[in-house]
Amino acid sequence: MKRLVALVPVAWLGLFFLVPFLVLLKISFSEPAIAQPPYLPLLDWADGILTIALNLGNYIFLTEDPLYLLSYLSSVKIAAISTVLTLLLGYPMAYVIARAPEHRRGLLLMLVILPFWTSFLLRVYAWIGLLKANGIVNNALLAVGVIDQPLVMLQTDFAVYLGIVYTYLPFMILPLYATLSKLDADLLDASADLGARPGTTFLTVTLPLSLPGVVAGSMLVFIPAVGEYIIPALLGGPGTLMIGSVLWNEFFLNRDWPVAAAVAIVMVLVLALPIALLRRVQAREGERP
Amino acid sequence: MSNPFIRIDGVTRTFGEVYAVDDVSLDIQQGELFCLLGGSGSGKSTLLRMLAGFERPTAGRIIIDGRDMTDVPPHARDVNMMFQSYALFPHMSVERNIAYGLHRMGMPKAQIATRVTDMLSLVQMEKLARRKPDQLSGGQRQRVALARALARRPKLLLLDEPLGALDRKLREETQLELKKIQSSLGITFIVVTHDQEEAMTLGDRLGVMNEGRIVQVGAPHEVYEFPQSRFVADFIGTVNLFEGTIAEDRDTDAVIASPEAGIDIRIPHAVTGTAGQPVAVALRPEKIVISRTLPDPYDNVLTGQVTDIVYSGNLSVFHVTLASGKRVRVSRTNRLRAESEGIGAGDAVQLGFTGQSAVVLAS
Repeated sequence: MKRLVALVPVAWLGLFFLVPFLVLLKISFSEPAIAQPPYLPLLDWADGILTIALNLGNYIFLTEDPLYLLSYLSSVKIAAISTVLTLLLGYPMAYVIARAPEHRRGLLLMLVILPFWTSFLLRVYAWIGLLKANGIVNNALLAVGVIDQPLVMLQTDFAVYLGIVYTYLPFMILPLYATLSKLDADLLDASADLGARPGTTFLTVTLPLSLPGVVAGSMLVFIPAVGEYIIPALLGGPGTLMIGSVLWNEFFLNRDWPVAAAVAIVMVLVLALPIALLRRVQAREGERP
Repeated sequence: MSNPFIRIDGVTRTFGEVYAVDDVSLDIQQGELFCLLGGSGSGKSTLLRMLAGFERPTAGRIIIDGRDMTDVPPHARDVNMMFQSYALFPHMSVERNIAYGLHRMGMPKAQIATRVTDMLSLVQMEKLARRKPDQLSGGQRQRVALARALARRPKLLLLDEPLGALDRKLREETQLELKKIQSSLGITFIVVTHDQEEAMTLGDRLGVMNEGRIVQVGAPHEVYEFPQSRFVADFIGTVNLFEGTIAEDRDTDAVIASPEAGIDIRIPHAVTGTAGQPVAVALRPEKIVISRTLPDPYDNVLTGQVTDIVYSGNLSVFHVTLASGKRVRVSRTNRLRAESEGIGAGDAVQLGFTGQSAVVLAS
């Protein structure tokens, strides 16, 4: 029975993650062609001989055109900065919710999750309405007289950061709230009792004990942010280079599925390696006496 | 005794409409081991938290070593606390837990190392210095918590149910150890406990709290032998209470008429109160002698029937029902292996006691 229960997530992951990944891996090693689907088969069964046409060209191509490397670096940079911003904004919010009286926490958490009730796409479009040259923000600032020319906000990196931070903030707040609300209030009292001012208590007790939440929240923001496509496409400008749009262009504009697949595989590796490293570090931390 | 070390002066703490601590005044001397004893919700923990600085009094003042500490935040007080949960920092080793308060004082590193070593040997934890709290047993955690609280050499150490989480045997050993450490360091201890036995073994003096007030303060034997109210008599130890009225009150003796006891109880000293006033006579179970026929004469003799005998090894407790229906508990040390008289359930017995051992309570 226990095995049967464990089988469900394993089957799910196998069917919807591993199999598509293998398909993608296979495509990334094939030769592009003008055909349906637009690539040549990897395995060829001709005249009783099995030929495997393993084509590394797609990966080599990625290293030859600097566009790809720049896109990866830029994506990681945008995702990292967004993650830090989300953390800086989300930590105090999670802290306040965790310290709020118990009967008010439910309401506050509800407010954090509330934006999910509207479509993600609609919310990003709403930011266009807010940020554009004659949008709500510019009109309000002009009316008050703070500025006399509309600010250029839309189609800038600023708008991309704003969109990512806004969209992923709940994913940061929820795991942080989970660890902070479990924090024993006696520990904070004990720290004060032993002579620590509130700021010191935060740095020596609260922050280290909430690190699991910080790591979980940062992962939940960083990973999808690296591959984010919609936010840079709608809010970013021509200068905003992100791997998500490169991927989209390869698939739908160039119809070069093998190169697109290679881009995707490299992205998975770019994300999986640091996570695996982090997990090993964490595992070693746990063992240490 | 003009300037007590700690003066709690008319301290009140309310939470909304509730008086958690209600106009408590208390003086504690330097080097004293004082126990605050009370049930849950008696206000003892709130009083302790006010001494530590975690709670502000709604009214009144707290003076420690001549300085008014009422509004001083916890981190600036020369007071440390050992928490009931121990509150050890789970991400720090035993050593770092103990050193935590010393770092906050800005003590030089070499001095911290010496002090930590001293503290570890004081609580016999040298070998486990590098362990994390979750790798320690309950008793070991308790020691680390004590060492951490003592490391800064506070003027006053507050202990919230320090032995509550330990099993019985370990608790008895630790009680003695705690007392030894306290007297060797000369630090004033205030211990909060709900366990009257612990309070009596540990404390030089104890203060009994009920509904936010201190109802009696005294040395353990004073509080046990001379309770000043029905609450204290009943809360500390076991007691038989006989309701009655003052029948005669003279300079040298008094008589309490008690239909419940079935006799006029003779007390060999004057009592406070006037004739006809309702009172209760409190009598501890061990102050009563039980026999089929008492060998010696007693001032007061009750008669009744044994309804139950509870054997607990060293003691047997007899439940005796009097003619009035009142049940009396009598305890007797099991000096012999077999019950010499062979008193069993259903037997008619005599209960003898001297008026000297009884306490007359007006309230």
